[in-house]
Amino acid sequence: MEEKKINEQESLELIARMIESTKENLEVGRGNRFLYFGYFAFVLSIVVFACVKLTHNNQFSGLWWLMFLCWGIVSWKSKKPKVVTYIDRAINSGWIVVGVMFCLSTVYLLVSAFITHSTDMSLMMPFSLLFVSVGTSMTGVIVRNHGITYLPLVSAIVSFYMLNSLLFGPPSVWWHLLFGVASVFNMIIPGHLLNVKEIKNV
Amino acid sequence: MFRELDPLLHSQLRLAIISLLVGLDEADFVYLKERTEATAGNLSVQIDKLSQAGYIEVEKGFEGKRPRTVCRITAQGRKAFVQYVDALKDYISK
Repeated sequence: MEEKKINEQESLELIARMIESTKENLEVGRGNRFLYFGYFAFVLSIVVFACVKLTHNNQFSGLWWLMFLCWGIVSWKSKKPKVVTYIDRAINSGWIVVGVMFCLSTVYLLVSAFITHSTDMSLMMPFSLLFVSVGTSMTGVIVRNHGITYLPLVSAIVSFYMLNSLLFGPPSVWWHLLFGVASVFNMIIPGHLLNVKEIKNV
Repeated sequence: MFRELDPLLHSQLRLAIISLLVGLDEADFVYLKERTEATAGNLSVQIDKLSQAGYIEVEKGFEGKRPRTVCRITAQGRKAFVQYVDALKDYISK
């Protein structure tokens, strides 16, 4: 394309062609981020469950902090996209809100644990599941995919169960495995669905 | 009486750039170059013209060690684009 004058008809055709070409872009690789977190959480859930179950030492629950390491590596490795659509911007903004909620709840629980001299951070699990479910469902609404929208509700129900069971006693060791299973519904399957959608769009 | 077409937009490459940015939140130089099939030098000159007119904003930065230029359409650019399309409609319909 060169710097040249065009007639009115050519202008309209050019505008239509360019606008049409921008519709193809849902950020490629978004599904992969869901998959990195999802599979990492799934594997970690089995590791944490095995460690706690075999050693009867609940300190191994602290291994869940490795999720932050996963987040750091994924963020570091991610390249900035060539193009950001309004859909990408909406999804990113939604996940920023989810991230802030996650950070606030983490800080709150850490401060609370410090004040009460407790080491129990078990509320992080249902909170995390709830936040991720909301974020993934929101992504599904924006990209108009029913699977991505409604599957995370399974993980939301798991978080309700966890919160409810805290009324009757300390968290069960099975929570770790349950978290892994919930990750299948709020990260792994939605990640694959997003990738399929991206492939169809390209 | 026909409305005058904005001379800044009534050029193939500049119109292509604005038309792409209208449908996007932001796009980098490489993407614009691929979609417009323009040379880097020419594209750079036209981006500067649009930027100086206030139609787009240009953010220059780095990704790692590589320079990265990101362009976004401004409210003024969007308004100019809408007026340009309206004027085009007049030309076509009469």
